[in-house]
Amino acid sequence: MAEVPLRERSVAPGAATQARPPTAPRRMRLGGAFFVLPGVIWLAAFFLIPLVAILIVSLGTNDATGHIDLSVLNLQNYFQAIRPEYVPAFVNSLRYAGLTTVLSIVIGYPIAYWISRYGGKRKVLLLILVMLPFWTSYLIRTYAWMIILRDNGVLNSILQTLGLTSDPIPLLNTDFSVVLGMTYGFLPFAILPLYVSIDRLDEHLVQAARDLYASGRAAFLHVTLPLTMPGIIAAALLTFIPAIGDYVTPDLLGGAQTTTIAKVVQVIFTSGRDWPYGSALGFLLMVVTLGGTLLALRSLRQETFAS
Amino acid sequence: MTREHDGSSVDLERQLVQVMAENRLTRRQLLERMGALGIATALAPIVAACAQAGLTSPSPSASALGVVPTTNPTAAPSATAGASASAPASAAPAATPPTAEKDLIVYNWDSYIGENTVAEFEDKYGIKVKYVRFTDAVTQMASLRKDGKGGGYDVSYPASTEIPGLVRDGVIQPLHIEWIPNIVNLGTDWQNPDYDQNNLHSVPNYWWTTGFTWDPAKIKDDLTSWASLWNADYSGHIGMLDDVQECFAAASFHLGLPINSTADSDLDQALASLEQQKPLLRKYTDDDIGDMTSGQLWISHAWSGDWVQMTYDNPDIKYAIPSEGAIRGSDTMVVTSGAQHPIAANLWIDFNLDARISAANSNYTGYLGPNAAAMTTIDPRLLADPNINPAAAVYSKLTELIQLEGADLDKYTQRWNALRA
Repeated sequence: MAEVPLRERSVAPGAATQARPPTAPRRMRLGGAFFVLPGVIWLAAFFLIPLVAILIVSLGTNDATGHIDLSVLNLQNYFQAIRPEYVPAFVNSLRYAGLTTVLSIVIGYPIAYWISRYGGKRKVLLLILVMLPFWTSYLIRTYAWMIILRDNGVLNSILQTLGLTSDPIPLLNTDFSVVLGMTYGFLPFAILPLYVSIDRLDEHLVQAARDLYASGRAAFLHVTLPLTMPGIIAAALLTFIPAIGDYVTPDLLGGAQTTTIAKVVQVIFTSGRDWPYGSALGFLLMVVTLGGTLLALRSLRQETFAS
Repeated sequence: MTREHDGSSVDLERQLVQVMAENRLTRRQLLERMGALGIATALAPIVAACAQAGLTSPSPSASALGVVPTTNPTAAPSATAGASASAPASAAPAATPPTAEKDLIVYNWDSYIGENTVAEFEDKYGIKVKYVRFTDAVTQMASLRKDGKGGGYDVSYPASTEIPGLVRDGVIQPLHIEWIPNIVNLGTDWQNPDYDQNNLHSVPNYWWTTGFTWDPAKIKDDLTSWASLWNADYSGHIGMLDDVQECFAAASFHLGLPINSTADSDLDQALASLEQQKPLLRKYTDDDIGDMTSGQLWISHAWSGDWVQMTYDNPDIKYAIPSEGAIRGSDTMVVTSGAQHPIAANLWIDFNLDARISAANSNYTGYLGPNAAAMTTIDPRLLADPNINPAAAVYSKLTELIQLEGADLDKYTQRWNALRA
């Protein structure tokens, strides 16, 4: 992917460099291929091949004894994949992923901004602190949330001791606990790209805006925010895409009314033992997520660079 | 996905074991003899496997069906029964079994046998036991099926509902009843279960019920009916097991419908009832123990074994086998088809059927087994508990779930997903 701009850049500087031997770009391209080789092998082995396997399985059928039959490939599973019953679960997935993304950016942006502008010598330490939760398994941290949120858990005990409530407030197994757990889990993924784009922003541009009598708020809205939009988009993608397929958090922190589409797929695979159908639904979800993301990205990018 | 199974290698394994048993061969002697017979013998299963792989279509199912010529699970055992009848065991039923094997790999739930069972077995037979644990049945089945012949374990403990599938797919091998004289200890209603006729491939291990538990601190009433799980007074604090067949069974008991029905009309009625119940639920739980002891749930659909564990945290928690009837679950001991230590595996099963050992297992885990001979040595407190040892009238209303397959399974899965989403 990096080859094209690289070549353009090397040729672009104009007439003065026209004398460059014509073989140079080709050599560069080969060098680029060499560097990208480990990545390509990795992606082929652990992404492309499994993806093709899922695609092939999704075209098969389940025979009467629950075995995958690939002798006749057809699209039958895809025709059956979209069912009106699944819509509420898909809406739940979208809702949780959307809320998680918005919250992660709203909470993460000020943190990233503060680290970048006021972190001083402690920037690295502060960034390590952001990543500190990764030192503990996500599963254990999610169980910790269960202990905090459950009816006789930490939070309800405090509320009851303070006399703020007599009966425990149902916090666990609700929309609230799912969004809380997911936002908690994905926040570092939002902070890091936000930090990079804020830190890269030339502070002189903000100063120039202030010199031109922009208020602090106006300078932020018209200079800082648009220029850090790539970071916001990256943060949104890094949060939304994994969040929409998140299975563990809604399963552990959710309840009877919080079923997500990932759970539907899991049921088809495990208790339903119908891998072809589950693969079709999973593949379709991936295509929908990818398509939606690309569309959103394109419109966002146009907006960003038009302003 | 590697559910292919090579029947001929199982056959060969069984024949080898028989040869060893008849001639009191050690493994080393056997290997030497095999060397003398020539590499052809050793290669036979591999050649057979290759030939089979070459012949069959890309469908794994085709090869699985090709091995066992019929899908009727009872037909295959009858053939193998004939084979084992030729063994001299029938002449001397309680002959000292051969103990050439020095190791045994047992794959079981954690804390699922008596505290001293492994040590006593090791002392008696001089066989070293490697006890490997799993935490959920999905992991267990994935491990046993990953190579189609038991994943390297010798003995495991699958749920009874899994037996027909495991037999059909060649994951487990027929038992050697001649090495399991203690099988006579089984109660009469356990000697010929529907899932495995005449216990040719499995021996029942423990049984339990699926009823419901409640916390008397939150719910004062003495509950006896499935209707309690539909009681709006407990709204927001009711839990159902995250298990499709158990939930449909609960709804069927509640409505008086046949259990294990695959008729659309029955299933639609059960689904409607579950849909009606869903707004009252806190969650479909896969941790009924944690949810009952940490306050979210006041009442929960639960397995009796889980209730026993709840009482370790909160001794007041109650359990009922509902008056409308309930599900009886059971699990089994089996020998995998790829077992490296098949004799030791059969000896392990026999050892666990011993009246004293079986009682010790029950006393430690709180589960009753199907062992009639053990009943006299089981802790009287366990036997006095009507939830663990129900009266005959209650026991007679217990029903086992069936293993659903194909279109019948799809009927349940589709409705379950419609309910959950």
